[in-house]
Amino acid sequence: MNYKPDEATMISYMYGELDAKETEKVHQYLQLHPDELKKYHQMNDALDIIRTVEDKEVIAPPIYLGQDTHGNPFWRSAYFKTVMSIAASFLLIIVAGKLSGLEINYASGELRISFGSKQSVKQEIVQPTNLLTESQVQQMINASLTENNNVISANWTETQQKLDKSIKSNLAFNSQRIDDLMKSTSQASQDQVRGFVSNLQDENLRLMKDYLQLSSKEQKKYVESLVVDFSSYLKEQRNQDLQLFQSRMNSIEKNTVQFKQETEQILASIISSGGKKKNSY
Amino acid sequence: MQTDALIARAQEGDKNAQGRLVKLWYKRIYNFNYKFFFDHDLAMEVSQKTFIAMHKSIGNLQDVSRFKSWLYTISINFCREELRKKKSNKSISLNDLKPGEGEDSYRWEESGNRGENPEHQLRHSELSDMLQKCLMELSEEQRAVVIMKEYEGLKFREIAEALNISENTVKSRMYYGLDGLKKILERNNITKETVGYEL
Repeated sequence: MNYKPDEATMISYMYGELDAKETEKVHQYLQLHPDELKKYHQMNDALDIIRTVEDKEVIAPPIYLGQDTHGNPFWRSAYFKTVMSIAASFLLIIVAGKLSGLEINYASGELRISFGSKQSVKQEIVQPTNLLTESQVQQMINASLTENNNVISANWTETQQKLDKSIKSNLAFNSQRIDDLMKSTSQASQDQVRGFVSNLQDENLRLMKDYLQLSSKEQKKYVESLVVDFSSYLKEQRNQDLQLFQSRMNSIEKNTVQFKQETEQILASIISSGGKKKNSY
Repeated sequence: MQTDALIARAQEGDKNAQGRLVKLWYKRIYNFNYKFFFDHDLAMEVSQKTFIAMHKSIGNLQDVSRFKSWLYTISINFCREELRKKKSNKSISLNDLKPGEGEDSYRWEESGNRGENPEHQLRHSELSDMLQKCLMELSEEQRAVVIMKEYEGLKFREIAEALNISENTVKSRMYYGLDGLKKILERNNITKETVGYEL
């Protein structure tokens, strides 16, 4: 038996916390191991000994339990203190700002923090001397637009001409290439057709040959298997016939023996009845 | 009143319920601490700390049925704290310098019900001290488990909760604790027979 209970199981056994099956296993283990059983008893004895130590009598001293949180006024709560301290900090900042003349402005995307009184800044606006009139500006714009239009139309014409020229030259080049291709194709076609046909014939011949070879092999294999199956069938049939014949013969033999016994019994009864009749006469 | 109802009231801040809880549990916690330290003053100190902590954090206790193991958790944590302090600051009780013998012993002063049978009481007190010293030879972890199981009557599950370890570990510590105790008792020639004679 290889079973050995661990420490936790032994303690559970000691305190009767194991189920019946486990208890039986540990019990058997202890019976088989006298040393362990002795140790178990000694541990139980140690428990009995230490259990003799009794509790000390003691009177609960009055324990100061502090302030009752439910009876606290709200100004003593931590929340109120926090809020008040933040408010006091703000007040301090405001008073300090007032004393130091702090001024914070935000206008047209500009944040301005200043201390003390405001100082005016003189702004000198420089007036332009030579001003153009509205009609002069309009004329300048018109002249610029006319010039721009002329340049664009000249560029457009030039680009159109270049495009036409390029299309023409491309068309001529492509038609020349197609002509050359057609010529080479017509020259090479006779030989290629002959070669292709002869290749096709060879390939067909090879395929037919392979097929016939494969077919004859398969047929041969099939016929052989058929002959084997048939011979095994015949053998099986013969065995079955022989068995049938044997059983019939046995049956006939049995019947013959039975008939013979019955005949003997009849004869014996006739003989015995004949003897009795004779005695009666 | 049911303890659960008392705990629920204590959680709501009922001082009377808290006082009754202290009265109900003080003896148990004190005795646990006393057996853990074998020192009355330390046991008193840790017991007071335990109940002050109980008062402060009883509102945080989620499951009332776990009150017992929760209270022992607080107590064992303070015990460990005191042990750490003790290790770093070694001091000896004045009583231990000269314990005395017989009626001169301070144990005689401490023993209760002295009027009944003084000799018997004294013998019993001395035997208890002897066994207590044997307990003190166990490791802190094994001692806590043995005291909780044998003197405080906690279930293994409750001890596991109080010490925040698995039940199997508790049982294992109990096994090795008892094995150690068996050897200590053998070494001190304390057997069931001698204990029976003493009592």
